[in-house]
Amino acid sequence: MNIFKALVMREILDGKSFYIRTPAILASLTVVLLVLSTLILGEIHLDTVNGNEVKNIGEGMALLQQKEPEEVSSAVTLMYWGITMLTWFAFPFVIFFSLLGTLYEERRDRSIMFWKSMPVADWQEVLAKLFVPLIVAPLIFLGVTIATQLVISIFMGIVVLFQGGPALEMFPLGLMFTSWVILLGHYLMGMLWGLPLLAWLLLVSAFANRVPFLWAVLPPFVLVAIEGIFLKSYSVAKWIGIHMGGWREALENRIVQNIDGPRDVFNLVINAGLTESAAITFSSLNMWVGIVIAAGFTYAAIEMRKRAI
Amino acid sequence: MTDSMTNSPIIEAKGLSKSFGDFHALKSVDFSMPMGRIVGVIGANGAGKTTMLNAILGLTSYDGSLNVLGYDPATERDALMKDVCFIADIATLPKWMKVSEVLDYVEAVHPKFDRAKAMDFLSRTNVPIDKKVRALSKGMTVQVHLAVVMAIEAKLLVLDEPTLGLDIIFRKRFYQSLLEEYFDEDRTVIITTHQVEEVEHILTDVMFIKDGNIVLEADMEDLTQQFIEVMVEKGKEEEALALKPISHGASFGKETCVYKNIDRETLAKLGETRRLGLADIFVATMTGDGQ
Repeated sequence: MNIFKALVMREILDGKSFYIRTPAILASLTVVLLVLSTLILGEIHLDTVNGNEVKNIGEGMALLQQKEPEEVSSAVTLMYWGITMLTWFAFPFVIFFSLLGTLYEERRDRSIMFWKSMPVADWQEVLAKLFVPLIVAPLIFLGVTIATQLVISIFMGIVVLFQGGPALEMFPLGLMFTSWVILLGHYLMGMLWGLPLLAWLLLVSAFANRVPFLWAVLPPFVLVAIEGIFLKSYSVAKWIGIHMGGWREALENRIVQNIDGPRDVFNLVINAGLTESAAITFSSLNMWVGIVIAAGFTYAAIEMRKRAI
Repeated sequence: MTDSMTNSPIIEAKGLSKSFGDFHALKSVDFSMPMGRIVGVIGANGAGKTTMLNAILGLTSYDGSLNVLGYDPATERDALMKDVCFIADIATLPKWMKVSEVLDYVEAVHPKFDRAKAMDFLSRTNVPIDKKVRALSKGMTVQVHLAVVMAIEAKLLVLDEPTLGLDIIFRKRFYQSLLEEYFDEDRTVIITTHQVEEVEHILTDVMFIKDGNIVLEADMEDLTQQFIEVMVEKGKEEEALALKPISHGASFGKETCVYKNIDRETLAKLGETRRLGLADIFVATMTGDGQ
């Protein structure tokens, strides 16, 4: 376990700019943009549906609290997620390029010879290199998001306080906490579906002697093209699509709701979907076949690393 | 330590071979190396030295049987590396790590690493601990690697061209510290290098490799006694040639002859004798006359 911990620490250190700097910079940018826009714009003028004119966030919050008090915490939580979404745009790129580079770079800079001079098995190395982008990276991103949302909530609380609105309503901590945990659950589900594609990147990283990006992208592309041209079918493309997130389509049939207000959106996006997702995920043969394929790719990557010098 | 333990081989190879397509890098070689030796593996480029070392270190697959410290390197590299250290090439330390982070990592994964020893070694150099490896000079990078290796209580140390590209002062110091601070009777060191003159005084054994075969395996002391060069005195040339030198030439206007396995007293009558250097023995052996 100690060895695994050391490997994880090393991977984080190696990918510091990916795993830590990228979300930290985007989160800081988000906060700066929010603060600047609030200070510069100062007041907003919105005509609400009911014809009431709202001058700023404070008044808007006061109005919302007065008209639909049960919607307030959901609305605020959703707003915080909306603001911090910028950080997550980078996340797929971080995973993609970390996995693609991890076993490639150590061969290219020959540091693999140093790693191999240590009493660490190749399977431990490869699993750590899979574990960090898939589990540690999202936790770091979530951590940064949590910190950002807390900073934003404090800032908004102060703003609303000065504007004479219900400042305490800007801290729906219980609901925020729920959203953090549940989104992690959603991520894990998506990750399980994506595992064969992610493990493919790891395998490419283990065998490509150059241009790993092309190796990662071209073979699936060629497969899709060949199938399309000769068989006039698109099952490979569909399979890839499903594992990249298309599986969520099945959710639509399960969740039939009338959406009325932020609370319903919150429940649909964040809350209720999780049990449905889990039901779909763990009962899907397609998902389990993907896991088996991922295990095969990972095994192949370990075997490649054993032979790599 | 008992004699039997000291003398039991730490490496035993039988029919060890390795091919890359049609190219036979190692052609079914047998050898063994005992504990407490410094073995020089000497051969031309592409002779099979690195392939042999890679097999010993579990870095490559092979045919035949190979036992290193009781392990099968091909399947047990990770366990083997608790007792074996190697410096494969000077540029292998991860460039993106700080020196202190390299030490942190090794400390975490290697049960036989003594950080204080490594720090002590580094304190005698001017390597900055908080700099990244990328920022270090070639010589400093080797010093860091050497500090790591010296601080590991290993039974076998393999050095493949460890001083390539380093200046002569550093090379001298490198081998000196290897001999004085690291080597003892419970350890074996294997060195390959092109600069034979620099290592010959520390070697206890040599192995010559040519075209994937081991052409000579000998105790250094015995070997240097076998080869004697004579500066033949004027008038004794015919007598000298009659003893069948393995090579002869001329220097300072005198005939010089090299002999193998002819006793020194006999040769002393012909003229001034001297032992042959390892590099000359290597050349004499490789050119075929000495075999």
